[in-house]
Parts: sequence; C-alpha cells; structure tokens
Amino acid sequence: MKKKLLATLLGVAMVASLLVGCGSSAEEAAPAAEAAPAAEAEAPAAEEAAAPAAGDLEFKIVVKSFQSSYWQAAVTGVNQAAEELGVSVECNGPNAESDIADQVNMLTNYINAQPDGIGLAACDQSAVLDALQMAMDAGIPVVCFDSGVPDAPAGSVLSTIATDNYGAGATAADNLYAALKDTIASATAPVRIGEVNQESTSESITQRGLGFIDKFTELAKADGYTVAVVGNEFYVNGAKDKGDEASANIIIEVAVPAQTTVELCATEASAIMNKSDVIGMFGSNQVAAEGILSANENLDVLGTEPGTKILAAGFDAGSVIKQAIRDGKMFGAVTQSPLAMGKTTVETLYAIANGETVSDIATDGYWYDTTNMDSADIAPNLYD
Amino acid sequence: MEIKKSKKIFKQEVIVFLVVIALLLFFCLMSPDFRKYTTILTIMDYSYYIVLMSIGVTFPLITGGVDLSIGTGLICYSLAGGYLVVHAGWPTGLGMLVSILFGVAIGTLNGVLIGVMDLPPFLATLCTCMITRGLGSICAKNFGVSWPTAGTPGSWFRSIFKITVNGTKLPLGFVWVLMLVLIMNFVLKHTKMGRYTIAIGSNKEAAILSGINVKFYHIMAYVISGFFAALASIAYSAVFATVQPGTGAGFELEAIGGAIVGGVSATGGAGSIVGSLIGVFVICLLKTGLPFIGLQANWQQIVTGLVLIGAVMVDIIKRKREKK
Repeated sequence: MKKKLLATLLGVAMVASLLVGCGSSAEEAAPAAEAAPAAEAEAPAAEEAAAPAAGDLEFKIVVKSFQSSYWQAAVTGVNQAAEELGVSVECNGPNAESDIADQVNMLTNYINAQPDGIGLAACDQSAVLDALQMAMDAGIPVVCFDSGVPDAPAGSVLSTIATDNYGAGATAADNLYAALKDTIASATAPVRIGEVNQESTSESITQRGLGFIDKFTELAKADGYTVAVVGNEFYVNGAKDKGDEASANIIIEVAVPAQTTVELCATEASAIMNKSDVIGMFGSNQVAAEGILSANENLDVLGTEPGTKILAAGFDAGSVIKQAIRDGKMFGAVTQSPLAMGKTTVETLYAIANGETVSDIATDGYWYDTTNMDSADIAPNLYD
Repeated sequence: MEIKKSKKIFKQEVIVFLVVIALLLFFCLMSPDFRKYTTILTIMDYSYYIVLMSIGVTFPLITGGVDLSIGTGLICYSLAGGYLVVHAGWPTGLGMLVSILFGVAIGTLNGVLIGVMDLPPFLATLCTCMITRGLGSICAKNFGVSWPTAGTPGSWFRSIFKITVNGTKLPLGFVWVLMLVLIMNFVLKHTKMGRYTIAIGSNKEAAILSGINVKFYHIMAYVISGFFAALASIAYSAVFATVQPGTGAGFELEAIGGAIVGGVSATGGAGSIVGSLIGVFVICLLKTGLPFIGLQANWQQIVTGLVLIGAVMVDIIKRKREKK
C-alpha cells in the first residue's frame, strides 16, 4: 500500500516538475527565437500599408505543417505583415505535411468562421477542391501560397504566391550539371544521379523533382549524352523524356519514401549512394536533403570534388544543411524566400479586402554555396 | 510448467535468429552494394532507437497490455530536451536528463491510468500517444529541433553511439544496447519485479490472491517502458540531424512488432528481452535491405507486413504442435 502511494506521488511530482520546467524554459527561450528571423525586413509592396481599410480585418492562414523551420519563417513573415498593416491573423497547420485530412478540416473550420480572407498552402492539390468551392460560395477570397492548386474552381483562388518550383529544381540541375560536366565527359561507363523526394503528391515537391530531372536531361542531351529516368513511377512518368536505361550514359534514379520522415529518406538515400556509379545527388526539400546528409554520416561519400566524391545539392536551408555546406559535405542548395512569401500573402489578402485586383506572383529560387551564402542578398533567406 | 515455457521461448529466439541470418544472406546475395561495412553501420544506427523502445515495451506486453505512446513519446522527449539545449542554451547533459525525466513521467502517468484507474492499456496509451504528440510540438514551439551536430560544441553525446578510431567508425551504441538487453533480460527472468510482471500477464487474479502488490508492479512496467522510450529518444537525436514535431507515430509499431516476432506473447505472460532484440533486427534488416534490392517504398511496407505475419504464424503453429 505504501509503495503504491509512493509511486502515485512520485508520478504526480514528476509531471508537475516537468510542467513547471517546460513553462519557464519556454518563456526564457521566446525572445531568442523571435529575434532571429526578424532580421529580414524587406519585402515588396510593404509601403502600401496606408490604404484606407477598416482596422478590424481578420485573415486566416493555413500552412502545410510546422515540421520545418521553413514554415516557421513563413509564419514570421505573416505576422510581420499583419503587424505592419494592423490586421489580425490566425495561423494553423497540421502536424505533418502528410496529414492531408487534418488540413482540410482546419480549412473548413476557418471558412465557417467567415474571415475576410484565407491564405492557404495546400498539402494536397485535389483534397482542398471542395473546400475552395465552399469558400467561394461563402464569398471568402482565398490566396494560395507556397503551392498552387491548379484545378481550383474558377474564381475561388484570387492569387497564387509561390516559388517557381519547377524553375527552382532546374536551378539545382544547372549548378550540379556545370560542376559534374567534366566527370561525365571522362566517364567510361554510365553514371548515376540520385534524387530523393519526400513524397509525390504536393505540387511544390513534384515540380522541383521534375524541374531537376527535365533540366538535367536537357543539358546532358545538348552535350550529346543519352539520359534515362528510373525509380519512382510518378516521377518517371512525369519526366519529359524517360529514356532507355539499357542504352543511357546518364541514369537519374528517383526515390520516394513511404512516409515523410528523415530516417526513411535516409534509408532511400543510402541505398542509392551505395552504388559505385553515383556522381551526384539532389534532395528536393529540407527533409530529403537532411536524409541524404544522414545517410552520408556512415557512407562518407559526399564532398565538393567532382569525380572522387558525390556532389549533393539540397533544397531550403536550416542549420544542418547550412553547416554541411560550410563543412564541404554538401555542394550547395537552392533556397526560397519563405519570409517574403508569408508577408506577400497577407499583403495580397489586404489588397483584395481593399477592392484591388491581384494576380499571381512568382518568387524565385536562389542557388547558394560556400561562395555566396554570406552575401547580403542570400543570407537573409537562409533561416535556421 | 514454468520450465517448459522458458524452453519454448528459447526455441523461438533461435528460429528468429536464423531468420535474421537468412535475411542477411539474402540481401548480400541480391545486392553487391549491401555487402559493405557501412551497411552494418547504417543498420546499427537505425536500430538503436527501435531496440531501446522494444526493451521497454516488452514489459507492458508481458503484463498483457501494450504501450502505444512510445513512438510519439520518443519525439516529444527529444523535442523538449533538444529545445532547451539548442534554444535556451542548456548543457547537452541537462537536456538529456530532461528527456529522461519526461519519459519516466509519461510512463508513470500510463502506469497510474492502467494499474490504478483500470483503463484498458490500449485506450490509455492511445490517449497519451496523442498527448505526447501535441505536447512535443508545444514544447518545441513547433520548431524542428536539431540537437548539436557533429563537430559543434555539445555534440559529445553523438559519440556515445558511434566513435571513430583510426579513421574507422565503430558502432559503439550496440555495446550499450546489448548490455541493457542483458541487464533487462536478467531483471525480467531472475528478479522479483520481472517474475511478478510475468505473473500479472499469465494470471492477474492469481497474482492478486497470492499477495503480490499488483498495482505497483503494473505501474512499474509502464515506467520502464517510458524510461526506455526516453533512452530511445536520445539514440534518435544522436543519429538523426533534425527531430521534427508531429512525427513518431508508427515507431511504436516497429518496436512492438519486433518484440512479438521475437517471441513475446501477444496475450502476455511470456517473452524475453533477448527475443525482442533479435525480433527488432528482422524489422531493421527489412527496412534497410529492401531499398537495396530496388523495391519501391510502398512494396517495402507490404513485404515487411507479410514477413511479420509469417513470423507470428510460425509461433502459432509451434504452439499448436506443443499442445498435441
């Protein structure tokens, strides 16, 4: 009996101490976390804030998840714009980017709350179609950001603010191909380029993956090589030219894990990186790029010297990828500007509320490596 | 009766061990790339957290219960500890301690809900599974947390699991994991706590009537499970670059699946920690090996599921034969 009491008390005490610990530490840490991304203040169209709108505009923002610091930077941008414009904004998002149903639920709840506008980064391009129709019927303007919804009911999405993902994937291919050109030229046997995509359902990831494949193929063909795309069916069938594996000089192998987690991306990456004919790798977002780096922990095959090492190109930033580029483990990466994207979303919603006509806005992807990652126009986009 | 039972479990371990060897040979035969030292390193790296979870979850399983909260719990404990280290400047060791205390606390909560308040284990731990999933994201303020990366200050804990000697990386973590397996195997088989845990699983009423403090030992089974989920969270943080909020669901199934393949009875009352260890390696081998033979991700999951069915079927057939 005594022991039982003791165990119960012990349990209660532990939970209590933990809650206290968690609470106080969160407070201490808050200023540091907020201060970091606030460094970037510049964003287009910020000065138009003086437009005559009611101060009580309310916008709802649905992000894909809070899984990566990328989304945290986007939310920071959203909050910055909200503060500047004096509007109230509420952000929400599912636990993981693969929780499609959760996100649709959040979206419908927001529609029912009748806000003045909704900003949406859709996890899945088809799952949100009904909700978008609902929003249009309810007269709520929707602005999509990060990922577009190509099949949205006409008139429901007033503007799409997104990185040109296809172009950003192509940017990675441009840089990787230029670095690998001599290796390919001197190869006596077919060489292999690996690509890891965390999934094959969202527009941003699939466009990046396909942009990389198509551009790399185009560049290689221009130099007289033949290219084949193998691996995940979605990407093989989506490529402009999937080629023939038996006769190709360059094989692009695409892997997609069953779930969007680092350890599964790492397993897929290490299966490819173990092959002796691999000369380059591409990970199309933060999770996939970190998967490649995790795999490299044991394999130790990545580097910046073409021919002797595998050159890896990543996507997005985060402390791990930035450190890997500084250490010469990752060759380089493509970054977007999530902060500006979040800001522009709120500004666009504000413009719509003021009766302005808006159109789609494409933001660029920028290549960065050791040579330019500290430069003034790149560094602010490299969130931790 | 007791002797017979332990003999049978021993046989299951041997069978599963042979399955591990067979899988190793199969992958080596099918893929030249698999036959590398780095593959062993990778399998080891990715197995630590699952083995640690499965050591812990074996205890609730043997009482006839289950602990579904260990997967999301693992991520939660790692996020809480890691957040303090990365964003609040706490020393790495203190962050690890927070992770462990967090795990013990959630384990105790599970134990009280199940042992004292009589909630069904499936339900109670499903609830704490959801709670830890949300709590982890809150503790980390929805940030992905990157514990100090190799080479930066505070990254010493990564070398608990892997050290480099003369340029060769050694899977040091396996030594610790193996030691813990042997210790907990001893605890389960040869101490009062272990025997009472088994007694609760084989016949709870009889255990109560014979004067065992069933509630206490029932709670302890979940405390052990929470403690090992916390150790697993440290292993996970040490091996992978970033811990992401919202993940972790599904890890528990690999640990529970491994334990059951390794001979832990799904209805409680029987099992061994050594068996769980070997069972986990079946799962880890499939996870790492199947991509090497060019199987696409979705097929990997189907094959893993089929192999698990096969392993459990072997056990069932064996039991039926023994009855005859």
